[in-house]
Amino acid sequence: MLTTRQTETLSLILNDVIPPSADGHVPGAGNAGVASFLQQATPYDPDPARVVLTVIETVLEIADDFSSQSPQDRIDVIIRVQAQHPQIFERFLRLTYMGYYSQAELRPLFGVAAEPVHPSGYPVPSESSRMMADLTAPVRARGAVYRPADG
Amino acid sequence: MVTTMKHEPVDVLIIGAGASGAAIAWSLLETRMRILCLEQGTHLPDADFPSRRPDYELARYGEFSCDPNIRQLAQDYPINVDDSCIAPVNWNGVGGSTINFLGHWPRMKPSDFRTRSLDGVAEDWPVDYATLEPFYAMNDRNTGVSGLSGNPAYPDYAPELPPIPLGQLGQTLAKGFNQLGWHWWPSDVAILSKDQDGRQKCVNAGTCDLGCAAGAKGGTNFTYWPMLERAGVELRTGSRVREILIDPATGMATGVLYHGADGQLHRQQAEMVILACNGIGTPRLLLNSDTERNPDGLANSSGMVGRNLMFHPLTGVSGVFDQPMKGHEGPMACSILSQEFYESDPSRDFVRGYGLHSGRSTTPMTFALGGYGIDRPIPWGAAHREIMDDIYPNIASLTVVAEDLPDQENRVTLDPDLTDSDGIPAPKISYRLGENTRRMLKHGEARAAEALRAAGAHTILSKNDDAVWWRAGWHQMGTCRMGNDPENSVVNGWGRSHDVKNLFIVDGSIFVTAGAVNPTSTIQALALYIGDRIKTNIATLFD
Repeated sequence: MLTTRQTETLSLILNDVIPPSADGHVPGAGNAGVASFLQQATPYDPDPARVVLTVIETVLEIADDFSSQSPQDRIDVIIRVQAQHPQIFERFLRLTYMGYYSQAELRPLFGVAAEPVHPSGYPVPSESSRMMADLTAPVRARGAVYRPADG
Repeated sequence: MVTTMKHEPVDVLIIGAGASGAAIAWSLLETRMRILCLEQGTHLPDADFPSRRPDYELARYGEFSCDPNIRQLAQDYPINVDDSCIAPVNWNGVGGSTINFLGHWPRMKPSDFRTRSLDGVAEDWPVDYATLEPFYAMNDRNTGVSGLSGNPAYPDYAPELPPIPLGQLGQTLAKGFNQLGWHWWPSDVAILSKDQDGRQKCVNAGTCDLGCAAGAKGGTNFTYWPMLERAGVELRTGSRVREILIDPATGMATGVLYHGADGQLHRQQAEMVILACNGIGTPRLLLNSDTERNPDGLANSSGMVGRNLMFHPLTGVSGVFDQPMKGHEGPMACSILSQEFYESDPSRDFVRGYGLHSGRSTTPMTFALGGYGIDRPIPWGAAHREIMDDIYPNIASLTVVAEDLPDQENRVTLDPDLTDSDGIPAPKISYRLGENTRRMLKHGEARAAEALRAAGAHTILSKNDDAVWWRAGWHQMGTCRMGNDPENSVVNGWGRSHDVKNLFIVDGSIFVTAGAVNPTSTIQALALYIGDRIKTNIATLFD
């Protein structure tokens, strides 16, 4: 369970790791609620709580005033965290990306269906016979390109 | 004291319900022998495949990971990969790795069976393409294969169903290959482009690795097993074989000891034992079946059990285009395949060759985490936003699939400490990349970049920094190779152990060379061929 300060810090970190789009249309990871995913990410990391706590605590050790820093100063702090704990930070990144891109409401922002892909899938039209014949014509024209068993 | 439960003897005991176990069971149906298949995993209903869940992509990194060391399900055995640059991946359950394979279905080529004679490397197979051709065709009919006839990279044959759509990505890349005058062809796939036999055609969901909830992909859970169960083949799931039992007087296999779903140790007698446990599971079981008479493992008088492990080392190159490639729409690995650089060419600094496979279905999560088979998250911060907004939608990739040459030092052994949940010693993989393969991959990367540029890519991205993909050991071959000489092979030209006359091996471990194509089509064709030889030789089978 995170304290209020840790929770606020985590949200800021997440929004710096996956920032919102310039027009605000695509939310950052903090505003998208990735923090709640991190709390229940045990199937995807041996110890997600330790990963999250290590990142938060290291951020606050480096910059006790992290929440009041400028965006660029916060980025610099996170870069230092990454340098101090490269493996932990990579695990943090993995979990953040998983928590963010698994959200059904976000997927359409990247061109992917919100709903589960089965049973509907995606409509992809088959190429016409004519188109396929035209595309493969140069390949056919070269003739056989395999090596026979006798060389 | 451990209780051992005994069962009625069977005629044929098959270990493993994956690609090869199912195929040979089907081949032997007409003999009316009593056939039992022991499978360590479960029979997962397709309703349980993750692609019907809102968070389906997460399953790829948890309980449906292709890596058993990540999944750690009850039916999985750990694999020590500390001494390997490639991690083996698989699925343990009915269907085996056809549950999470990608359905790419190219055949091996005539030259693949003759590398010693043609190129002076490895060994020739004791069978050839022409011999296997009718069994490829038989297997294609049972599986449901889509593709385009007339591929000039093969002797003539015709896939039964029309090709699956190339899509924007495949069409774009095809034009690039045409620009260069290089071979390419729509991929043969074990994926239905039309409804068939009660199975639904592909809906382009892009989740082939998550079980295919549509039943379009030709996993043996959808193809062979319904036929086998209707025909009365007994399938015992949750049954992990501990060792093969041998009669010390005759040297013949008498059956197996296995841990059942009930937690008990069982003894199953059989007239004939067939191993279908893949290129790692099969040598593991043989090495675990050592006896006083066979101290180095069963069927191992040649010392070749576990040796000559071959994967298909992979690397990839991506191109960024001006328009969306819609990479997440369509079967994952299958759009087009170029075999321009497949055959040996004396002007190159390597022998044999590779294929260039177009990949699809990179969803945002998979892409952000580094790509399928790669553990390297993309950058964070402003760069992350830029990559996901401007690069991800417009990307198309080519995968270099290299032929691996056999090397006796690349091998499967038993780990001295690691065990599965039943206490059975786990396999350890020792594998390094050969110099020939390194050169091949380097050549392939450069040609892939060339093809992408010709197709219109304005930026080329290499994903691997000269390393092969880590979690990409799909194809596990060579560890019990076939051959005519008992001194340097484990089984003969039709899969029978040189040492134990009623023991057969039918999985990818009996491959002599790897080719540079996905092996499942060949594994199953070979299993059908071995089944045919067993039927032909039935009167003198164990002589």
